[in-house]
Amino acid sequence: MTSSLVEFSNNLADTVERAGASVIAVLEGGREGVSGTVWRDGLAVTAEHTIRGREEITIILPSGERSSAKVTGRDPGTDIALLKFEKHAVPATLADESLSRVGEVVLAVGRRGTEGLATTHGIVSAISGPWRTWQGARIDRWLRLDLTPFTGFSGGPIVTARGEVLGIATSGPRRSVVTIPCSTVARVADQLLHRGRIARGYLGVGVQPVALPESARQALGTEAAHGLLVITVEPGSSATNANILIGDIIVAIEGTPVRSVRSLHNALDPENVGKALTIELLRAGKLHKVSVTVGERPERSS
Amino acid sequence: MIGAVNPAPSAGISIGNAISSIAEWLRQFTVRISSGNSHGSGVIWRSEGLIVTNAHVAHSQVHDVEFANGTKTQGWVLARDRECDLAVMAVNLGGLPAAAVRSSANIRAGELVIAVGNPWDGEGAVSAGIVHRPTNKPWVVADIRLAPGNSGGPLTDAEGNVVGINSMIVNGLGVAVGSDSVEAFLRRIHLAEAV
Repeated sequence: MTSSLVEFSNNLADTVERAGASVIAVLEGGREGVSGTVWRDGLAVTAEHTIRGREEITIILPSGERSSAKVTGRDPGTDIALLKFEKHAVPATLADESLSRVGEVVLAVGRRGTEGLATTHGIVSAISGPWRTWQGARIDRWLRLDLTPFTGFSGGPIVTARGEVLGIATSGPRRSVVTIPCSTVARVADQLLHRGRIARGYLGVGVQPVALPESARQALGTEAAHGLLVITVEPGSSATNANILIGDIIVAIEGTPVRSVRSLHNALDPENVGKALTIELLRAGKLHKVSVTVGERPERSS
Repeated sequence: MIGAVNPAPSAGISIGNAISSIAEWLRQFTVRISSGNSHGSGVIWRSEGLIVTNAHVAHSQVHDVEFANGTKTQGWVLARDRECDLAVMAVNLGGLPAAAVRSSANIRAGELVIAVGNPWDGEGAVSAGIVHRPTNKPWVVADIRLAPGNSGGPLTDAEGNVVGINSMIVNGLGVAVGSDSVEAFLRRIHLAEAV
């Protein structure tokens, strides 16, 4: 009886050690330092919000070696930043996150400066499909965890009982843990490596949701209960080129009725940059169709 | 549609059984300490009647001490170290079931830990978790759910060896005074050998 418990205990500690071989400490991240996960040799990912405004930081490798790292790419949308360092480290073993199950035991693994590994345990409490962060970025899978966050866990991996990485941990609202699944990290990391940033679609309009009166809906033959009232149009933008005017009400994009500003986010995913979209809008009581070529969001001047 | 049926018991159930059988043993060396209307827990450290608890549990000179078998007696505080949050008291009983102690120096992050104590009214309540991180400070931090009455009670490894004395809850994590600090405290007050 007891020996099965000892075995279980040793397995858990082994799992933490195995996963920890790919976990680094990011000393200047957050308030008291955060963690990072080695993605490839010489390349790690961490939580972007913890190292905002930094170009170069100090990390502690799993070997205990101290190194400097360059921030080579960042995507605030998915909260992922890439760190490049001139030292060797073992990349994390990735899990197939599509096989993850509710009730599965998971561990958050972090590295606390020179003190070594830190961990908390929990279970996967719910799994669902893609979701969007409030910045509009798509996350491929929602993994809700029942797990206690700890100081400096951000940027470290969420691992299965086998020690394989399900995703990168970051902090959510109300002291919750949000998992950015590996598929999303891989997609974002590849784009960051190729382009140094994530292209996000941009139309150049400011909108506000408005309710469509029943009469307007019937007259137009549309089912949409809401539209997006255009309140600003940026000069020289895609919207200007497509002749969208202030006062237009956007009711559908590519044939799909809009419900809220979030409906626009779907149309502005990176893969749509440069593509022409058909937008239906209400102008002077009549339905118009315009074709808009999705531009690229200009980089925020810091 | 047929009614829901419980799945067949799996390996997880046997781990539950293992914890409950070890908890039975842990309760034997865990005592309830009270004075006035405050109470906490303590660990029988030596069978000759030496009980270790937190300084914040042993705040007066004499306390009521209750053993797992219901025996009640009084415990006199021999020494207190508020900085380490440790206290040691003596009871006038011998042949007590003393805890097995393991050094807190070699515990690993992720190891299973078990706590027994007297939170609220639950006597001998058991909780299980894992070692959050070993620190070079005198503390062991564990990802385990504790309540105030756990104070002074044991934090053990998967074999039931005491690795710490549960002391406080910080940001949802349990903090225990490591067993090495307890031994150092006893040495400081010359109680390392049997009294």
